[in-house]
Amino acid sequence: MTIAAEQEMPRSKRRSSLIRSPQFSSLVILIVLLAVFAIADGNFLSPLNISNMMAFLPELGIIALGMTLLLTAGEFDLSVGAVFGLAPVVVMLLVQNGGFDIGIALLAGLLLCIAIGAVNGLIVTKIGISSFLVTLSMLLVVRGAALYITQGFPLKSWDQPGFFVTLLAGSFNIGTFRFYTSLWWFIGLSLLAIYVLHYAKLGNWISAIGSNRNAAVARGVPADAVKVWLFILTSVLAGLAGMISAFRISAASPVAGTGYELEVIAMVVVGGTALTGGRGTILGTIVGALMLRSIRNGIVLIGVPGLAYNIFVGVIILAMLILHALLQKNAARS
Amino acid sequence: MEVLRLHNLQKSFGSVRALKSASFTLNEGEVVALLGDNGAGKSTLIKAISGVFPVDRGDIYVRGLKVSIRSTRGAMDLGIETIHQDTSLAPDLSIARNLFLGREPVNLKWLGVFAPLDLAKLRDAAAALLKRVGISKKLDADALVSTLSGGERQSIAISRAMQFAAKVIILDEPTNNLGVEETHGVLRFVKEMRAAGHSVLLITHNIHHVFQVADRIIVMRRGEIVAEQTVADTDLLTVESIITGADMSALLKETRAK
Ligand SMILES: Nc1ncnc2c1ncn2[C@@H]1O[C@H](COP(=O)(O)OP(=O)(O)OP(=O)(O)O)[C@@H](O)[C@H]1O
Ligand SMILES: [Mg+2]
Repeated sequence: MTIAAEQEMPRSKRRSSLIRSPQFSSLVILIVLLAVFAIADGNFLSPLNISNMMAFLPELGIIALGMTLLLTAGEFDLSVGAVFGLAPVVVMLLVQNGGFDIGIALLAGLLLCIAIGAVNGLIVTKIGISSFLVTLSMLLVVRGAALYITQGFPLKSWDQPGFFVTLLAGSFNIGTFRFYTSLWWFIGLSLLAIYVLHYAKLGNWISAIGSNRNAAVARGVPADAVKVWLFILTSVLAGLAGMISAFRISAASPVAGTGYELEVIAMVVVGGTALTGGRGTILGTIVGALMLRSIRNGIVLIGVPGLAYNIFVGVIILAMLILHALLQKNAARS
Repeated sequence: MEVLRLHNLQKSFGSVRALKSASFTLNEGEVVALLGDNGAGKSTLIKAISGVFPVDRGDIYVRGLKVSIRSTRGAMDLGIETIHQDTSLAPDLSIARNLFLGREPVNLKWLGVFAPLDLAKLRDAAAALLKRVGISKKLDADALVSTLSGGERQSIAISRAMQFAAKVIILDEPTNNLGVEETHGVLRFVKEMRAAGHSVLLITHNIHHVFQVADRIIVMRRGEIVAEQTVADTDLLTVESIITGADMSALLKETRAK
């Protein structure tokens, strides 16, 4: 059940379908998880820990927003982690070795991300190779490029305070909580994504393309163009997230973002978006991002040994997916 | 008056010559049935007219003017609405959203693809339309299409073609998978459209339906139009034999005599 459908339902029906919707069950599980962590370790809800979680959350969350739209249209992008690493590395090289102004360098980074997304999208739509294969190859190209141009060494990032640093990685305090501007980016982009997917004409097209591409094309929907733009958007968001991260920790590493593609896809599907396209939910993705973030954070606090993290994360993701599948079956039957 | 004229349309898929040569004319307020065995090239012909793919050769005239149909959108803008055999609806969208797919009612039109959907209008128009087609009792405009039966889906696709009141409506096997009642609904719809001055191109394997609604019959075989007759001048058995090619000589004589 998509939110799209709920918007159009009378109130009584809306409630029951909301409770059965995947983003709702994800939310319940998120709350349970938070409660478990909070009870198991008093520090989990401490200002410092919450501030920490909120610092990391937007970086993967921003990519997840783009990935949700792309998955809803029936495609996905495995190169986001590599783009996350390459964008800041290129920007910093241009500034440090090329002597360019930081603004110009950022613009060049943006163009690079647009180009990567466009290449992904054009190969997928015009040549007709599956996005799995295209973006897997792109992952290798992009990651390889980042390693080659840096010779594998991390670069010192831009650490002089200024407009761009404040814009992307400034921090501010609310009481004892410390927040980064990246949180505003995440909130703003989330609202925009919710609007586009569930309320705008474009969202109707995105869902229709993922649900039945031929039907959408037969109604005059420019399916290929929409997909190419979504690939570009996802790439740009990955680059933006990479810049935010590099500014925050004042370093740009060529291996930054390794494995993020799978973590991001996990966030999206745990939130209830269908891997097969057609059904997407931004609210679910936000819940999914919060969930994976707090799992990673919580299991550290409750003392799970570091090398065992992924066992937990994997098991919880599997459990979530099984739950969604069962709910889906149930809904189909009723 | 002539609404649509095809002249020598040709289309190949690799070495398969799906459409060797097709020419015919569709007049205003006329129902033409396009018949032929499986693989005869019927769907290929109508996909070419509706902009799904370009033809290799040949001309299409709409109301006497030569047009080039480059996309499905282009065909729709020329007033040609098509209900395809295999693809029509997006199962994950609601009925209302499917009815208006590609032509969504929006507010703030200048926002282009980012314009907000006019949800109230969408819902009201969809409900009104379902009522008009006579399926509002059974179906809620907000239900997801994935929850509908094959026949209900077909009815939705047909009501969609109806709402835009196109000049030419093309139906590719619209009564497939339909129950008795829905089938009558479709045939009634075809007659209504003709009464309102629209032209209908109907593809079907059911010859009985043809004799109920069609004015003219066109038979295709292996990518070619092999016969063209008015319904009044023929009968069921003759048409059947033309389709299967059982009696070619008699058929040729008959068509030449015209
Ligand atoms: N996209 C395609 N690629 C390759 N061959 C195709 C394609 N579409 C149709 N064909 C071939 O063209 C021929 C005509 O197919 P078409 O779908 O037009 O038949 P049809 O008359 O609609 O048949 P049916 O009654 O079974 O629907 C067939 O031999 C088919 O295999
Ligand atoms: Mg066919």
